[in-house]
Amino acid sequence: MNAAIEYWPFGVYVGAVVVVIAGKLLASHFLGERHRERVTGEAYESGILPTGTGRLRFSIKFFLIAILFVIFDLELVFIFAWAVAIHELGWPGFWGLMVFMGILTVGLIYEWRMGSLDWIPRRPANKRSRPSTLSSKPEPTR
Amino acid sequence: MNWMFYIVAAITLIATVRVITHPNVVYALLYFVVSLLSVALIFYMIGAPFVAALEVIIYAGAILVLFLFVIMMLNFREEHETHWLRKRIWAGPGVLCAALLAVTIAFIAQGPMVSGFYRTIEPSEVGNALFGPYLIAVQLAALLLLSGLVGSSHLRRHERGSLLRKPEGGDSQ
Repeated sequence: MNAAIEYWPFGVYVGAVVVVIAGKLLASHFLGERHRERVTGEAYESGILPTGTGRLRFSIKFFLIAILFVIFDLELVFIFAWAVAIHELGWPGFWGLMVFMGILTVGLIYEWRMGSLDWIPRRPANKRSRPSTLSSKPEPTR
Repeated sequence: MNWMFYIVAAITLIATVRVITHPNVVYALLYFVVSLLSVALIFYMIGAPFVAALEVIIYAGAILVLFLFVIMMLNFREEHETHWLRKRIWAGPGVLCAALLAVTIAFIAQGPMVSGFYRTIEPSEVGNALFGPYLIAVQLAALLLLSGLVGSSHLRRHERGSLLRKPEGGDSQ
């Protein structure tokens, strides 16, 4: 049981977390007002009334964001593994990491130039709504 | 030490079987989280805390987001959140998680391992191995991630103006 005594600040921390969360929930339970009016159940009080169902078709772009998050999360894991051993690895490890990050930076530049990072699609050239840097150029025919 | 391992392994098996057999994906996902957490605890018990942390961060954190997104996009059944909060739903994963927490506390309370058979691998040792003798594997992993990046960028439609040449498309969103 030595470790349990050694890590007592962690136990205090966990206890504090439980007390704070339970306190918040209990306080809002006893202090919060409860009333049932005509628009209490609305999502946005005094806002625009939501219409239709919530079962929308979501754009695939959301999934794209999630995939990008996972990929760069994994990159971060490798960087972390390098960072905790930075003194033993020295310069060879540094250049190894630079090559690793360089490969992924190439992928990031590819994503960027492909327009995958744009939330709104770029305007087609014939609409002339805004002078875009890339799309308003006349495209060479191939 | 041994009885703890068997408890966690049993929790892993139960949770994984429920992932496969549960008819509803959202509840299967709950059991999936429990399964990943117990695998992480097994890694931690055999002396690999770094891998255990990665299991929680990558799988239970990031990969699970992908599953959630798939459910969000493909699940069109008429359901309400109040149906998801019934006790029957969260009782199973809750009990398994509580058992995992109990085993974790018991394992930490018994102190560091002195068995000699298992040795705790520090994260810095993992980094030394990765960026030392296994540097090629790291670069191959980078190429794998790069292919993932490139593949994901082709998931969405591309309009004119991007690098991808398309015939006359126009946006019709």
